[in-house]
Amino acid sequence: MLTAQWMYGLAGCVIMALGLRGALLHASLLQRIVAINVMGAGVFMLLVAVAYRGPVLPPDPLPHALVLTGIVVAVSATALALALARRLHAEQEDD
Amino acid sequence: MTDAMIWLVALPLAAALATLLLPRSATAVAIGSGLATTVAAGLLLFGVATQGALHYEIGGWSAGLGIALRADGLSALLLMMTALVALAASVYASAYFSAVSERARFWPLWLLLWTSLNALLLSGDLFNLYVTLELLGLSAVALASLGGKHAAVAAALRYLLVGLLGSMLFLAGVGLIYAGYGTLDLATLASVVEPGPVAWTALALMTTGLLLKTALFPLHFWLPPTHASAPAPVSAVLSALVVKAAFYLVLRLWLDVFADVVTPAAANLLGLLGAGAVLWGSWRALRVERLKLLAAWSTVAQLGYLFLFFPLLLAMPPGPARDLAAGGLVMLALTHGFAKAGLFLAIGIIQQRCGHDMIRELDGTAQRLPATTFAIALAGVALIGLPPSGAFLGKWQLLAGAVATGQWVWLVVTATGSLLAAAYIFRVLGHAFGHRPYPNQPVTVAREEWPALLLAAMAALVLGLAGAPVWGLLEIGT
Amino acid sequence: MSPVSLPLFDALLLFSIVGLAWASLATTDERRSVILFIAFGLVLAVAWGRLLAPDVALAEAAIGAGLSGALLLGAVHRQPRPLSPGSTNDSRNQGATGMGVVLRWVVTLLCTALAGTLAWALLHAFSSVPHDMLPRAISGNLAASGVSNPVTAVLLNFRAYDTLLELAVLLTAVLGIFALGQANPGYQPAGPVFDSLVRWLVPVLILTSGYLLWVGAHAPGGAFQAGAILAAAGVVLRLAGRTRIGLPEGFMLRIVMAAGVGLFLLVGLTLLLLGRPFLGYPPAWAGSLILLIETAAMLSIAATLLLAFLGGRPESPAHAARTESANTTASNSGNEEQTPC
Repeated sequence: MLTAQWMYGLAGCVIMALGLRGALLHASLLQRIVAINVMGAGVFMLLVAVAYRGPVLPPDPLPHALVLTGIVVAVSATALALALARRLHAEQEDD
Repeated sequence: MTDAMIWLVALPLAAALATLLLPRSATAVAIGSGLATTVAAGLLLFGVATQGALHYEIGGWSAGLGIALRADGLSALLLMMTALVALAASVYASAYFSAVSERARFWPLWLLLWTSLNALLLSGDLFNLYVTLELLGLSAVALASLGGKHAAVAAALRYLLVGLLGSMLFLAGVGLIYAGYGTLDLATLASVVEPGPVAWTALALMTTGLLLKTALFPLHFWLPPTHASAPAPVSAVLSALVVKAAFYLVLRLWLDVFADVVTPAAANLLGLLGAGAVLWGSWRALRVERLKLLAAWSTVAQLGYLFLFFPLLLAMPPGPARDLAAGGLVMLALTHGFAKAGLFLAIGIIQQRCGHDMIRELDGTAQRLPATTFAIALAGVALIGLPPSGAFLGKWQLLAGAVATGQWVWLVVTATGSLLAAAYIFRVLGHAFGHRPYPNQPVTVAREEWPALLLAAMAALVLGLAGAPVWGLLEIGT
Repeated sequence: MSPVSLPLFDALLLFSIVGLAWASLATTDERRSVILFIAFGLVLAVAWGRLLAPDVALAEAAIGAGLSGALLLGAVHRQPRPLSPGSTNDSRNQGATGMGVVLRWVVTLLCTALAGTLAWALLHAFSSVPHDMLPRAISGNLAASGVSNPVTAVLLNFRAYDTLLELAVLLTAVLGIFALGQANPGYQPAGPVFDSLVRWLVPVLILTSGYLLWVGAHAPGGAFQAGAILAAAGVVLRLAGRTRIGLPEGFMLRIVMAAGVGLFLLVGLTLLLLGRPFLGYPPAWAGSLILLIETAAMLSIAATLLLAFLGGRPESPAHAARTESANTTASNSGNEEQTPC
């Protein structure tokens, strides 16, 4: 078991937990969106750590592809969430 | 026949692009592709019934390297239900949205939702399931927020954030599985997975994510506002199909892929949560003032029944009794899909004609909108579980299973839930069959009322009377 | 690097990453939170490079930190007051009350338990025999895939179906954004310094994106990174107050939005109708087909990401006039019909 793999995997779990905690506890909508993105980054770190096979062997490309897809999906969801929030705000200001 | 799997995904997706590029003919394209997709679903069902479980390796790459699509009895049945419900709701929606701009925004998203449902039900790869879940979630959110009303947008935003949380948990589970077993293919995984920290944690993560998406008590808080504020055809599909898709995944993971890993204790936990959903959902449905909210809480309750099956299925050894119970579960799921969709479409008609959906002010709807009220009555029969609806068969299996395995508590829960359902359905019907005289002729718009009627009839009559093939089809496992 | 300093580098890097994540979520100032999040994303990209994932590093820097950061910063700046939860989340406004404190501790405990359980399971997974069936299959089939960058091979060939659906996800998000309203108001015209920066930056970005698209076949890069850089060019133009930011209008815009998914489907279904599996490229044609799909995908991705940044339907005079009249009809229809009830 590679030290680097384990360190980054553990860090991924910690970041994921940090993000989840932020998503559940924050009152501000924007910060909850940031927290969900942080949570996603934690999961991605987990995947990239799984892919790492040491300095000599080339890394496993499959998790890299999965993370790439995940990054794009995350930004799509963030954009939609922000648009919804903006619409909500516009409604509140009109009231 | 195996190609039908590809067409089931490609047709609605291509149609979504077509409606985006040709907004003026969008309705025709949408209905046409809906018909074609339904035919494809029928062909697939026929293929599965005659040839057994089908699978398709996309790109020709072997499963694991590439992504495999799989269809067995369960997924073929759900695909057929999806197609029929979505088609009926599409016909309804073509009359519901009258402005060109509304239609131009609705159809592409609607067809993308249909694509995601089909892709999810056919997928045989864990990460592909994550992508389909995201597509499903985003299209559902976008549709739920159509119209831009404050309540709808707020509910849609909450739905989005909850859905994202669920997806992230699911993805964490997928990553863990890949770390532990080096494969994402469901069939391969089913053969290599063993009980252990990796499998337990991954299953727990994926299940929690899916429970968030299927709104199982106590993670149900997002559902009633979302389903109640969305436009009527969207609510129909959200309640009937979208939450069912997440449930299907829980079923697939627990009974198929991780069958060796699940423990009776975990199943009991799911059963307990299901019981909570049945009781709390039915109670709230009885107390709300709006029809759409009632239907939404009813969804929460009905999903609870589905989870009551888990402790039963795990307590029974594999055999005819277990197959009977599993068939009851699927029958209940199918019936609820048709019934809830019919109910929401009927409520939509009421909402458009009367301008509101307050239960107390339904006075005499039966005279003004007889077909619609009849649809609500039929749907109600199926939701309560009266014969000859499919739900009766399903609940019968639930009760029989509870008695057979000695788990009496589920019996009590089911009985109480059904009584509460009868109460809230009859409350609605009581108000609908009010006595205020209505001199004019009832106005009917066929395109709106036929879909609701047919869906409700499917639930209340067809599935119950002609439902035996369901059990036969479920024998065809992957 | 010597065997001693690499773990030290890792420790420092991880410490900064976790620290930035913590700081971003600990602060209550939204703007600071977003800026720390962008920094988090950039350091994360360094981590991806460290873990020999350059494709992911490029995508993280461009999309994860860059575009997400731009979206979030735009949201922060548009609000005259912090985005309050309002009706979306009343129950969590506890703050200083007793119930609130208990809730915070319970959630913190649960999240710690989650991290612990996940770490324990991960340890188990890493300690067992490594499974390398898939990496071996990928390198074994790389020659037949048409490209030599394994990540591109996975994305555009072996698991192309995932990429097809992912492009559909992007499209869905933008269609949802379109349905919610018009684009954000533009920015004021840039001053001389920014303007001159833009004059050379945008061509460089366009060239870089073209290069990344081409090189993705045999080196880190590809359609997603290229699309993000192209979108960044549009974002920079928008920030400089330009009205023309490279987006086509009306029907052409919809064509570009649909191009990624559309071309994927076209290629896949044509192959199906020719008797091959869906998206099963013939090895001799694979490289060209992948480049074709990637070009369409790049344009689609760039357009959709730029539209996401715009935050709504782009304003154009003819379009605005049509939307106005359609909106007034929309607000009247869909509600009561004329039949009295």
